[in-house]
Amino acid sequence: MSVKAFELVPAVERDLLMGDKARINIECIECCGKHLYVGTNDCFIHHFLLDEVTSSKGKLSYSSQKLLHKYLGLKKPVAELRAASALERLIVLCDGIVFLVDMVTLETVPSAAGGGVKIRGVTAFCINENPVSGDPFCVEIAVLCSKRRTVQIYMVYEDRVQLVKEMNTPQQPCAVSLDGYFLCLALATQYMILNYNTGASQDLFPYNSEERRPIVKWINREEFLLAAPGGLGMFANAEGISQRAPVKWSESVIAAAVCFPYVVALDENFITIHSMLDQQLKQTLSFRDGHILQDFEGKVMLASTKAVYVLVPLPLERQIQDLLASRRVEEALILTEGAQRNIPKDKFQILHRRILQQAGFIQFGQLQFLEAKEHFRKGELDVRELISLYPLLLPASSSFTRCHPPLHEFADLNHLAQGDQEKVLQCKRFLISYLGEVRSTEMVNGCREDVDTALLKLYAEQDHESLLDLLATENACVLADSVPWLEKYHKYFALGLLYHYHCQDSAAVKLWIRVADGDLQDSTRSGLFEYIVDFLCSSSSQDLVWKHADWALQKDPTIGVHIFTKRPAGKDHTDLNPDDVITYLGKHNHALLLYLEHLVLERRIQKEKLHTHLAVLYLERVLSLLSKSPTDAEQLNRARERLQAFLRESNLYRVQFLLGKMENCEQLLLERATLHGKLEEHDKALHILVHKLRDFPSAEAFCIWASSSRDSAYRQRLFHLLLGVYLDGSPGKGQTANDGGGKLEMAAVDLLNQHGEVFDPVRVLRMLPEGWSLQLLRPFLNRAVRASMHACRTSQIALGLAHSENLQLLHDRLKERKKPILVSEKKGCHLCHNTFSEPAVVCLPGGVPVHTHCVAQRVRDSPTKRHLTNSSNHT
Amino acid sequence: MPDLSKMKKPDVKVVLLGDMNVGKTSLLHRYMERKFKDTISTVGGAFFLKQWGPYNISIWDTAGREQFHGLGSMYCRGAAAVILTYDVTNWQSLAELEERFLSLTDTANHDCIYALVGNKADLTDPRAQLPPEAAGLPEDQTEEERTEPRVPSACPTPPASPTSPSGALLHKQVAGEDAAALYGRILRYKGLDEKGSLPAEKMCFETSAKTGYNVDALFETLFDLVLPSILRKRHENQESPTVDLEDFRGVGTKRARSTCC
Ligand SMILES: Nc1nc2c(ncn2[C@@H]2O[C@H](COP(=O)(O)OP(=O)(O)O)[C@@H](O)[C@H]2O)c(=O)[nH]1
Ligand SMILES: [Mg+2]
Repeated sequence: MSVKAFELVPAVERDLLMGDKARINIECIECCGKHLYVGTNDCFIHHFLLDEVTSSKGKLSYSSQKLLHKYLGLKKPVAELRAASALERLIVLCDGIVFLVDMVTLETVPSAAGGGVKIRGVTAFCINENPVSGDPFCVEIAVLCSKRRTVQIYMVYEDRVQLVKEMNTPQQPCAVSLDGYFLCLALATQYMILNYNTGASQDLFPYNSEERRPIVKWINREEFLLAAPGGLGMFANAEGISQRAPVKWSESVIAAAVCFPYVVALDENFITIHSMLDQQLKQTLSFRDGHILQDFEGKVMLASTKAVYVLVPLPLERQIQDLLASRRVEEALILTEGAQRNIPKDKFQILHRRILQQAGFIQFGQLQFLEAKEHFRKGELDVRELISLYPLLLPASSSFTRCHPPLHEFADLNHLAQGDQEKVLQCKRFLISYLGEVRSTEMVNGCREDVDTALLKLYAEQDHESLLDLLATENACVLADSVPWLEKYHKYFALGLLYHYHCQDSAAVKLWIRVADGDLQDSTRSGLFEYIVDFLCSSSSQDLVWKHADWALQKDPTIGVHIFTKRPAGKDHTDLNPDDVITYLGKHNHALLLYLEHLVLERRIQKEKLHTHLAVLYLERVLSLLSKSPTDAEQLNRARERLQAFLRESNLYRVQFLLGKMENCEQLLLERATLHGKLEEHDKALHILVHKLRDFPSAEAFCIWASSSRDSAYRQRLFHLLLGVYLDGSPGKGQTANDGGGKLEMAAVDLLNQHGEVFDPVRVLRMLPEGWSLQLLRPFLNRAVRASMHACRTSQIALGLAHSENLQLLHDRLKERKKPILVSEKKGCHLCHNTFSEPAVVCLPGGVPVHTHCVAQRVRDSPTKRHLTNSSNHT
Repeated sequence: MPDLSKMKKPDVKVVLLGDMNVGKTSLLHRYMERKFKDTISTVGGAFFLKQWGPYNISIWDTAGREQFHGLGSMYCRGAAAVILTYDVTNWQSLAELEERFLSLTDTANHDCIYALVGNKADLTDPRAQLPPEAAGLPEDQTEEERTEPRVPSACPTPPASPTSPSGALLHKQVAGEDAAALYGRILRYKGLDEKGSLPAEKMCFETSAKTGYNVDALFETLFDLVLPSILRKRHENQESPTVDLEDFRGVGTKRARSTCC
């Protein structure tokens, strides 16, 4: 594949040079600035002035004007021409003689007095490209001589030449280049490097100069380009090392030159152009009869036998664009990066970035997304260039316009995909992932809105799960643009989130309500109702709450009431006033109940009003269930249990008020009993339980409950009361025996046998009817007797123990008394810490001696004026 | 004059030598690009730059063709490591190394290291047919096989087992010990003491560019071994200033080659 890197432009055409004289051929050329010299086979030098002309279309051409021509008088072809512009001389090789010619007049320079100006027997010469002498008015040349195996180094001055050095070579040299002290030579069978200063030599590689014409071309500081076997162009430096990979020419290559980054070579029919960057052949130009290819100060010129041409490099950018146009991304990038050193840094960066971006778009168009992404990233692409490919993604408010000239050839995604929906989809997926990656980087500084809005649109359209994440976190989606888009794709839940993000909670809730009510379809969120309730619950806007609570309560009071019950405690927003809420909930009975439960049971607010209200609601519920027929037993039970539990547990409600409310209700006896209990009207309570309800277990439970936080005497009193109630109703007291009476008797017996420990047995025995059998009360009596025995024995043991303790203490005391007590002047009193001065002391228990007055003092101070001490004699 | 030397100056050079078709280019591709692709016959030579830590290593692929033979010495000049490559299914390719290629290494650094690489192991060895990760888990005996060259008569190419992925294996013409023996002769040719040099077990590899078998191990072993050479070179460069073409910060720090009036 080819690039157009160069254009061949005629410089001097046949007419101008030789007219119709067919036998005249060009032998050599030299160009120095605008001056072009041409040597011909008829021993003429022609001098032209070469002007660059750029047409209005930017096309370059040359106009040449002949200044002079001169016959050198040797009848032999002019073999070489080299300009030494500082000397205003042309160094000419003709007929094996090197001599000097004036650059302007073309007159041969005569020999000066001091030395010759001619070198004879020369086959070839070259100029030192990197002169070692500092003299600007002197040119160094290396000369190859026809007979001897030598190389000579000369200094060329304005009017003389001076031999500096002569070096022997192992074989006859046939081509030469010179850089500093380094001669690069083609010998008969090999190339070599020769240092004419040190004499050191370095073989490069073998080459048969007889078979193929060798090429020794200086290309760069201490670097040469050589024709190698197999038509290779080999690079070698002065150390004999190759630092660049070779290029492949044809076998018949005649001449070569470097015009970075290209190697230009000439063979019989073609000019070939290889890149030094990747070794590849980039361009081939056909060129007949070519025999000269030389570069002059960067300008590559060619000559056929009859005419002269300039090989004009196309501007680098143009070449790169050509490569890109043929989608040769890698090569374009290599070429760009290869030019880094030749372009000012800032200019290079701009170019490089642009090429990277273009490369990215080419790969994008080929769906090579990974590569494209890498190039976009490296090229710091404005993401909007990419977004703008996708119709309608950029928000209407975006100020973006595509860069000019365009980075790619695509009008939009549809154009790119040519109707292939799968392609479109892939591109969209790519953009989703790409935007997702870059949106949090500084690459999107200044266009966050565009990026986020585009991403939102793609998410919505592609039904992408990240849509909600995008909206729930910090984002810059443009509302005006996103609303219709989300509506279009029925993403109402997401739209609500967006409204919320833009502080339009009211709009959000309204929209969600429509979805929850089924007016709009969006299945994004299951449990949307609960979500709305949660949302209202945590909303700090009371207005919003009051406005939509009704809807929520109607839809489901149990959940709806969460708006009030689940509000985060405290926090920044002033909380709703419970009284307001209660008033508000007036018409929502069930919700009100739940709310009161929340206040009373969860938040444990100790307010009589609330407790009474809740109790009344419980009661009302029970009553309303009772009034229904048929009654739902299960529901009723549950309602009553609640009521009962509350009546038992709360101490704040107004008991009388509630009692009044159920006074006439014969079905709520248990509740009434509880209320009586609350009023400490235990007899009434027990009466109800025993006589009306005949619910003995409840009666017992009542006793336990009513005395639960009291002392045992209180409990005993209650149990005796219950026993009394049982016994009063039993036939033993003169009533007619019936079922009921017998049952009460049994209840009394059970009570005694089960709770015997609570009772005072003596009082019980007095209460019991005479006729009861002992057998019946055996458990009770057993326990009573055993308990009393136990108490008796326990107290006897206690007595005994106290007695023995007393004896033990007595014994200790006697023992202490007999012990000697040591008193000395060195020992201090334990109470005042002064020493003893007289033998009379008092001894504390344990034999501790103290002053008598100290003890007296202590006894006086102590509230119990016991005598602790005994006086003892000093021993 | 444009500056031609845009390339990073390599710190060290590694050269692949060997007869044509043994798989030098393929080995280099496998290592650099992690794939095995069709190669076209290498023209003259080519090279890759490999970033190895802070160092740049240039790896030269040479052309095995007789035509380009003369260039070999030049490629080897200043090399820190030479990879002598043969084809395990081709006895002649090993012989060529000794006959034609060994002499090319005369221009390499005096402390150049040599690796002997038998490529296309996938054709003879079932282990090398697996991707490198899988082949890395040897059975009990394989470890031994790798370090101690097999006696060819006692144990020729193992018969293709039913579990072998590709069934038919080619005859292995070059046994590990043949390579080890050649390695010994290389050391002798270089006038190196066998004891003071890297052992054959370490420097003889069998690889497959096709499956990647042992390829990373080969290059990475070499890079680790040439590191001292890099350091020495850096050191030398600091000692004797030369004109660094890469150095465009100006000549202030370095002595100019020619003085100017
Ligand atoms: N089976 C197999 N074939 C290989 C291997 N390496 C290279 N080849 C093949 O051998 C031929 C020559 O390879 P190439 O790399 O060009 O060899 P070079 O001349 O040394 O550079 C090509 O057809 C490759 O496909 C390998 O490890 N296994
Ligand atoms: Mg190859």
